Amino acid sequence: MFDTKKLTFLDGAMGTMLQRAGLQPGELPELVALNKPDMLTAIHRQYIEAGSDIVYANTFGANRRKLQKLGVSVEEVVMASIAAAKKACEDSSARIAPGARVALDVGPLGELLEPLGTLPFEAAVDMFAEIVRAGVKAGADCIVIETMTDLQEARAALIAAKENSDLPVLVTMSFDESGRTFTGCTAASMAATLTGLGADAIGVNCSLGPKQLLPILREICANTHLPVIAKPNAGLPDPVDGHYDLSPADFAEAMAEAVAAGVSVIGGCCGTNPDYIRALHERVKDMTPGQREIHRTSMVCTATKAVTIDGVRVIGERINPTGKKRFQQALLAGDMDYIVDMAIQQEDAGADILDVNVGYPGVEEAAMLPLVVRKLQEATNLPLMLDSTNPDALEAGLRVYCGKAAVNSVNGDEKVLARILPIVKKYGAAVVGLTLDETGLPRTADERIAIAKRILAAAESHGITRENLWIDCLTLTVSAQQDQARATLDAVRRVTEELHLPTVLGVSNISFGLPNRPLMARTFLTQAMAAGLTLPIINPNLTDMMDAIAAHRVLSGEDAGCRVYVDRFANAAAPAAAPAAPSAMTLEEAIVRGLKGDASRLAREAIASSTGLELVENVLIPALDKVGADYEAGRAFLPQLLSAAQAAQAVFAVIQESMGEGDAVRKGKVIIATVKGDIHDIGKNIVKTVMSNYGYQIIDLGRDVPPETIVEATLREDVCLVGLSALMTTTLPAMEETVRQLNKLPHPPAMMLGGAVVTPDYAEHLGCHYAKDAKASVEIARAILS
Amino acid sequence: MELNMQEALRYLGAQSPDAALLTGLTALAEELQSRITPRFTWALTDTAELALPGQLAQRMLADCPRSAVLVCTLGAEFDRWMRQLSARDMARAVMLDALGSVYVEAGCDAAENAIRARFPGKHLTDRFSPGYGDLPLDVQPRLLESAGAGRIGVAVTDTLMMTPQKSVSAIVGIADAPQPARVRGCAHCALNKTCPYRKAGATCHV
Repeated sequence: MFDTKKLTFLDGAMGTMLQRAGLQPGELPELVALNKPDMLTAIHRQYIEAGSDIVYANTFGANRRKLQKLGVSVEEVVMASIAAAKKACEDSSARIAPGARVALDVGPLGELLEPLGTLPFEAAVDMFAEIVRAGVKAGADCIVIETMTDLQEARAALIAAKENSDLPVLVTMSFDESGRTFTGCTAASMAATLTGLGADAIGVNCSLGPKQLLPILREICANTHLPVIAKPNAGLPDPVDGHYDLSPADFAEAMAEAVAAGVSVIGGCCGTNPDYIRALHERVKDMTPGQREIHRTSMVCTATKAVTIDGVRVIGERINPTGKKRFQQALLAGDMDYIVDMAIQQEDAGADILDVNVGYPGVEEAAMLPLVVRKLQEATNLPLMLDSTNPDALEAGLRVYCGKAAVNSVNGDEKVLARILPIVKKYGAAVVGLTLDETGLPRTADERIAIAKRILAAAESHGITRENLWIDCLTLTVSAQQDQARATLDAVRRVTEELHLPTVLGVSNISFGLPNRPLMARTFLTQAMAAGLTLPIINPNLTDMMDAIAAHRVLSGEDAGCRVYVDRFANAAAPAAAPAAPSAMTLEEAIVRGLKGDASRLAREAIASSTGLELVENVLIPALDKVGADYEAGRAFLPQLLSAAQAAQAVFAVIQESMGEGDAVRKGKVIIATVKGDIHDIGKNIVKTVMSNYGYQIIDLGRDVPPETIVEATLREDVCLVGLSALMTTTLPAMEETVRQLNKLPHPPAMMLGGAVVTPDYAEHLGCHYAKDAKASVEIARAILS
Repeated sequence: MELNMQEALRYLGAQSPDAALLTGLTALAEELQSRITPRFTWALTDTAELALPGQLAQRMLADCPRSAVLVCTLGAEFDRWMRQLSARDMARAVMLDALGSVYVEAGCDAAENAIRARFPGKHLTDRFSPGYGDLPLDVQPRLLESAGAGRIGVAVTDTLMMTPQKSVSAIVGIADAPQPARVRGCAHCALNKTCPYRKAGATCHV
């Protein structure tokens, strides 16, 4: 139906046409199909007569959320709207193109998905699926998903369309002058993600005129092999009279540029009408869409960041429980903050992609992986590589991952390939192929290449293009199998030169059992990069390794003018000098002044001569109390209180390290949550930061938390203090409901309430403590948990 | 766009900040302005069509057959930055939150100036928003619809919270005669019983 070489004409705006046809202000466009179907048919007919090959049925807002308020069903509206459009296709006598088709039009749900809003991803998929099923039943010829600004919502709609129909699917998003959508999605990320998920054509609609959209269209053209769609506004609207500033002729002229740039599916959005489509048709009908230069470089992305594998890109290996006791504990306890912290450290250390492995006995991986993916995507922009052999876990993780992920891994075993590749294909991920198979580890470079070729053939037979396959040539321990290091490096070189695929290596394996492991690991990394390695999996917190990569980027020419290299090392010299000056600062001062680094260093010194508990009781708590008292007296302010708390956190980390694992210094557990319907969580986060540094173990249930979840966690964790936050009068009922449910427990916990709209009287009325601020929360906890 | 740093400090409860806090706040303000530009949109409506309930709206718009509804937002990028910063450094996160609040207000000022420029010779009322006085929050969906807030990516949840978080909707009446101040001051404020500034013997100066 769509082609990169042949033009397809879409229609123009519906809303303005309805008003022109006599729709009264206040009359709902969603109901026109039921009340005045002939009005729709007449509009569609005008577009077909102006040259549209495809008309969008009037179903843009036909979702459950909107329609249930109007007392009609999605199916009723969709059936009637598509019927009205089909009628126009059948009886347009003067049409230019024979056989106009009808698209089911799917717009945004009008409510933002998590984490930007509160709508869960699967709830969105479910709402879209209902529309798609109705559209299929009504006989739509294709599905259009349009005016999306959140890549995650576009994904939800596209997944729903693919899972519930075999119809072609067009997806267009709305961008602004910054080249991003309102939610920050880039054109490259949009193109990679939607192409991967199996859209049939992608592009832009609404928000701007054709001129402003041209750079964005070019970017999309370069990042997908699919036909590209442009359905811009008739320029920009005037706020006073709502009039758009481009004439049909100007619009058509600007669109001709888009066609020359390679756009092949064209129409208009707000402010356009059949005159615009007619002018457009006239102007470009004899044009052939311009030749496009499409990047074939491997890439992964999140909505806001694309990582192209056109040089060495670091995959951080730290999110993995293997051999890490603290990480294992965090996983078993569901301690997301610890895992998020691992991600942040690696991002700050220069990782480009994060490997995510949450497989551990006792962890339900298929539930944990999507949860961790969601948490990580809130805290970091980096693309993720989902590391699992469990297909259910991979599918669950890929489904919620916003962007284009990588999967680690498949191997040459046919059974593994058959199990994992369909999932990789469905969600449009890149995948790592390990050069081993059911017969075991290969011995030579030749064997590795043979397996790599087999994996490549299998991937291509599943419709996975070669830039989406990365080959891992396997690092073996050189002290145990010395000849294998050579074989690995040879294989890396040959995969690079003969197969032209990116290569992955877990580098640190090389040095097990040897002294001076860092030297061995770095030397191997350097040789592997020289052989063509693009994706080393390493601990980016090891400066040595990152230094070697910085040097490599100079030698490879990627670091133009050695700029990054010079910055890295010229600036590194300065802080190195600082600790030389002996400081007379005490640990208490460091905490009070919020100096994290100093506090950590001084705690390390102090722990040599006293126990962790002594440090907490004699230094840490008094220091925090001093800041707390200053805060209350108006001598210190919230940022200082929090800086001190964060310095204390660093001290806590040192103490915990010295005491081994466990929570011996923790005082008691407190659950905190922002209530259902409330998405403002800064107050709750402040309380969490301050309280946890007084030694309380904070179980943070997040924001928009249903009462049931809070009750369930209270029982499970057996806590006696729950803190609830609400910011708006509209969410106070949810707070009351939570208090009511908690009070029904056999042993109700004490509760403290806070937030902008909570007053002492209100809290007292509900039989709860009033937490004026974070400091007050600490006092309440002291009184209750002591 | 000028940021009202005094106001940001007030949100932080820091009327007499030390040099370190001021330096940190100023640097963060610069970063905020380089990373994010407030977006706004507005539309002209018939005041009668808006049908705003309550005395505040009635009093404010008494002389205004037409009103402009404006919406301003720092966008989802601010929310994302805020989440990421909250995971890294809460002290800076609260500073960013305070700066975000004054930044979106500055965006509203810019929107108001744009409106003013389109109506030479007319007089605008004070800007007011749902939640002020007796203007209920449940007019929010209507206001967003009327301003075309979808064009700048602003939506409202079932619990009437706007997303992205740093978003403001407001109404400005357009009159032929000069309009007295009718919103500013504690007498008009719904929070005048519980306000922490009043308790401390001060005002928020709004």
